[in-house]
Amino acid sequence: MTLATNEADLVAVSVGGAIAHPGFPGLPAEPYRLASDGTPFLLPTYGSIVYNVSVGDRAFGWAADCIHPGVSIKRADDNGNRGLNIFACVGNTATVMTGAAQGSKGAVTGKSGRFSEQVIVHFPREVRKKMAIGDQIVIKSLGTGFEITGHAGISFKGMSPALFKALPQKVENGVLKIGVVATVPAHLVGAGAGLTSEGGSLHMQSTDKAELRKAGLDQLRLGDVVAIADTDSRYNHGYLPGAMSIAVIGQSDGPRAGYGPGMTVVMTAPDGQLGSFSAPGTNLVTLLALEP
Amino acid sequence: MTDREPLATNEADLVEMAVAGVISQPSVRQGAYTHYPDGRGVMLPGMFGVTYNARAGDKAFGWAGDHVEPGVSIAHPDEKSDFALHYLVAIGNEAMVTSGLAKGARGRVTGEHARILVDFADDVYERLNIGDQVQIFARGRGLVMTDFPHIEMKKISPALFARMGITRKGNGQLHVPVAMELPIEIMGSGAELNAEYVDQDLMSGDRALMARLGVDRMRLGDLIAIRHADHKFGRSYREGAVSIALCIHGDSVMTGHGPGILTLMTDPAGGIDFSIDPKANIASYFNIGDKA
Repeated sequence: MTLATNEADLVAVSVGGAIAHPGFPGLPAEPYRLASDGTPFLLPTYGSIVYNVSVGDRAFGWAADCIHPGVSIKRADDNGNRGLNIFACVGNTATVMTGAAQGSKGAVTGKSGRFSEQVIVHFPREVRKKMAIGDQIVIKSLGTGFEITGHAGISFKGMSPALFKALPQKVENGVLKIGVVATVPAHLVGAGAGLTSEGGSLHMQSTDKAELRKAGLDQLRLGDVVAIADTDSRYNHGYLPGAMSIAVIGQSDGPRAGYGPGMTVVMTAPDGQLGSFSAPGTNLVTLLALEP
Repeated sequence: MTDREPLATNEADLVEMAVAGVISQPSVRQGAYTHYPDGRGVMLPGMFGVTYNARAGDKAFGWAGDHVEPGVSIAHPDEKSDFALHYLVAIGNEAMVTSGLAKGARGRVTGEHARILVDFADDVYERLNIGDQVQIFARGRGLVMTDFPHIEMKKISPALFARMGITRKGNGQLHVPVAMELPIEIMGSGAELNAEYVDQDLMSGDRALMARLGVDRMRLGDLIAIRHADHKFGRSYREGAVSIALCIHGDSVMTGHGPGILTLMTDPAGGIDFSIDPKANIASYFNIGDKA
């Protein structure tokens, strides 16, 4: 089944960023963050080149706080960075423009939200070894404005046509259903609620591990495609019974309250226009044919 | 022990310290609309400044405004001093105007949003100027109930504590009268922040649900209970936890937003119980306005 889309009308525009250095607060050199039980912790967190965590790996259990797989990029100026974060679409091709890995190709696999605002890009492990902090990366952004004919109630956010075409999908009684690994119930939606849905991430609640297991979320992998129940992400993310959002797992779990695995939302509909079905193993690694 | 005995606290050990802010000016970014869930953009007042016609005890829903902050909204222009204002102030603290035409007028802290919200007597508002300094007699940080050390208290002044009607139940639980209970799945924006800084909005996007649950009858200043909400360090979903909070600002049209709920007490282990009393509002506790 192929749905008609407006792909031919989309404009491809370059957006660039540089590999971001990790950051910690300044003096008095208080490096700790607090876990949900109040325990101070000091662990690697978002940004930089991550050598041993890749899309396809587990989302839980790393000794890290919301780690981004692969490479994280941003721009120094806020407005330019917002352009990068919004226009970069999951599945877009990224090209290294400077440094020893110049010319290498990668793919956008996620974004991070308020307080970090980075774009997460997959590059093969061998490429990552050659990269340096500050290397410039250009993304051929394509996807903003994407629509599918006859499904006006469905909004797309940061979705490349390439990813959309690869997603398991079927139309039943006029409802577009997407194949997902799991569904996040509304009460396990955490940080990101009420924040912008143009770019950024929406995180799961992961403090209550029993509740995560009950919802079948504890085995998720980075890059997995999930549904988020009763969540309207058209203009900000928020609770709305009957709404649904579709997302990819962009970054790992972390110990902070409200900061379980981050989800990059790519589709949303407010009133039953979007559905899901179980499709175990639906992951960006295969959907985008990512090189290990 | 009976529930008639007053609850022992460390009130005598608390330090009382002056913190100050100035009356803020509403600020609007050029072209920055606030969006309804369907994308419709509006410009609405509500935050900053002196709000002449909304006070604690008034309705939280139904204003032609967004995030309405009752009374006077003050902030400190220096960021570090402003955080001190946020972290040291407690609800129910006394305030005093220290410059301008209303110099010497006394008021009461009724909330903490991105600014500190202070209520004054009717005749004070007309004499207040943007930029007038308001000083708070801050006391409450560090407050502990001697027999309930596991129950975390946040931003409760001894004056508020004494008026909340808190009692000890026969089973050892603490009992708090509240005006309303909220379901955890509607808790939204603010999940990304630590629980010592400002509030978390309830998500009012499902208007029919708000009406069915009676949430749309919420008043500014209402005491609120939320089950499965652990607000000790951040805001986690945790089965069995209970948090007690305060409605500090009005409803919003934005997805993921709604009236603001400021954490006052929390126990991850479920040591707090509550019952519904429509009069559980700080306007009654402090004789504010004509809704007291």
